[in-house]
Amino acid sequence: MADEKPAEKLDVARLVDETAKAIGLPIAAESRANVILNYERSLTIARPLLEVELDDELTPGPVFRP
Amino acid sequence: MSDPLSKAATATEIAAAVRSGKAKATAVIEATLKRIEKSEPTINAFTDVVAERARKRAAEIDAGNHRGPLIGVPFAVKNLFDIEGLPTRAGSKINVDGPKAARDGALVRKLEAAGAILVGGLNMGEYAYDFTGENVHYGPSRNPRDTTRMSGGSSGGSGAAVAAGEVPLALGSDTNGSIRVPSSLCGLFGLKPTYGRLSRAGSFPFVDAFDHLGPIARSAEDLALSFDAMQGWDPDDPVCTDRPADPTLQRLIEGIDGLRIAIAGDYFAKGGEPEMFEAVATVAKALGATKTVVLPEAAAARAAAYVITAVEGGQLHLPRLRSRPQDFDPDTRERFMAGALLPGSWYVKAQRFRRRYRANVLKIFDQADIVLAPATPCTAPKLGQVMMKLGGVDLPVRANLGVFTQPISFIGLPVVVAPLQRPGGLPIGVQIIAKPFNEQAALRVAAFLEKQGVASAPPA
Repeated sequence: MADEKPAEKLDVARLVDETAKAIGLPIAAESRANVILNYERSLTIARPLLEVELDDELTPGPVFRP
Repeated sequence: MSDPLSKAATATEIAAAVRSGKAKATAVIEATLKRIEKSEPTINAFTDVVAERARKRAAEIDAGNHRGPLIGVPFAVKNLFDIEGLPTRAGSKINVDGPKAARDGALVRKLEAAGAILVGGLNMGEYAYDFTGENVHYGPSRNPRDTTRMSGGSSGGSGAAVAAGEVPLALGSDTNGSIRVPSSLCGLFGLKPTYGRLSRAGSFPFVDAFDHLGPIARSAEDLALSFDAMQGWDPDDPVCTDRPADPTLQRLIEGIDGLRIAIAGDYFAKGGEPEMFEAVATVAKALGATKTVVLPEAAAARAAAYVITAVEGGQLHLPRLRSRPQDFDPDTRERFMAGALLPGSWYVKAQRFRRRYRANVLKIFDQADIVLAPATPCTAPKLGQVMMKLGGVDLPVRANLGVFTQPISFIGLPVVVAPLQRPGGLPIGVQIIAKPFNEQAALRVAAFLEKQGVASAPPA
């Protein structure tokens, strides 16, 4: 089973409104519909990644060298 | 050999003519500036022309004050590269109000140290979040092969300027395909080197995890010539490799001897117009390649590249999205805003997945030195076109021009795009993909295809 899946009936409009509020990003009324559309597109495009299963041991490739 | 003052002249030909005294650098620059002036009303590739700087530099060269492998070669750079004394636009209106660059970007300095002459900054999609070459602030850069069509982006001005014959060489950036998409749509040779190979110091960032810089030109030899001049460690870019430079130009004559060449199947063999796959088959035939390999989980790789891009891009621009939303291109703004809202868990998963995908793809290079794939799913769309049909499915143009480039830059593999010109039709680019730091193999294949007459990039 995939470890993460967007909910089937996700209320994207509400999610956008509330998350924008949480991070302090004002979204003008004329932009809102397109932000929601882009978020929905992201859900579609991200799906093949979200359906992948990863082992606990799999960590990101190290790029930061102190 | 082309007239070094003509638009057909390659960087190699111009350097040879200036070096031998057959042409003056000042004459090359005057001819270049004249061509730019004549074609810009149609092509719109440049946002800044540094004519006086170029004339001064050319005069110094003619006075014998500079030498180098690119002596007298005019070049231009995507306007996310710092140019001393100019604001680094990065395709935006906002950055014009920012500070002027105190010095040139690292690669501009390297090319000029090799004798080349900067003539200007080039149009691009806003903040590089773009595959189209369109820009609401500066207008679209138009495809010289058909000016009603997109140049591709985000290095649209770089593709348009080289295809129009304004300059023989341009620099671009490639995060998800922004060198390879315009190279394909404008019918040019383009090199996206290995992640970390070339310094990004003095360029405006987009997605640190994937940002690459590289050249676009009209011959494979010019790619190698400029790439060799730009290699080398740079402490100002923490990602830049400290591996020794690996000169490629002298190795082009080796051709494809000893190279095992395969074709990418599965994900890379569907989801595009049939001509794109026919172009890959044509290239494969010319190279004697018959073996097909599968890059496992390429669809997830494209998804992960999309997520990392959206999140890093959204985060980078969050202060400007809060303070100056009205000054963004509306389309860019709303994609950045959506990216800023995506869950952190997606980002971490994408980064963890990247490690697995990298390990699995690198295994393919035990069986093959080169993998071939289409560069774009279609030829150049019409300017302003929002949707396109691929495999019977309606898809947004902006998000989908990079479906074949994203899974490759996701893990930083070096790629050369070889362009196929089609009489009566639009050009098509094929990706020649190599293992990390093996740019020389990909460049040798591109040079071989050019020699065989399969790939070519004459000016429009």
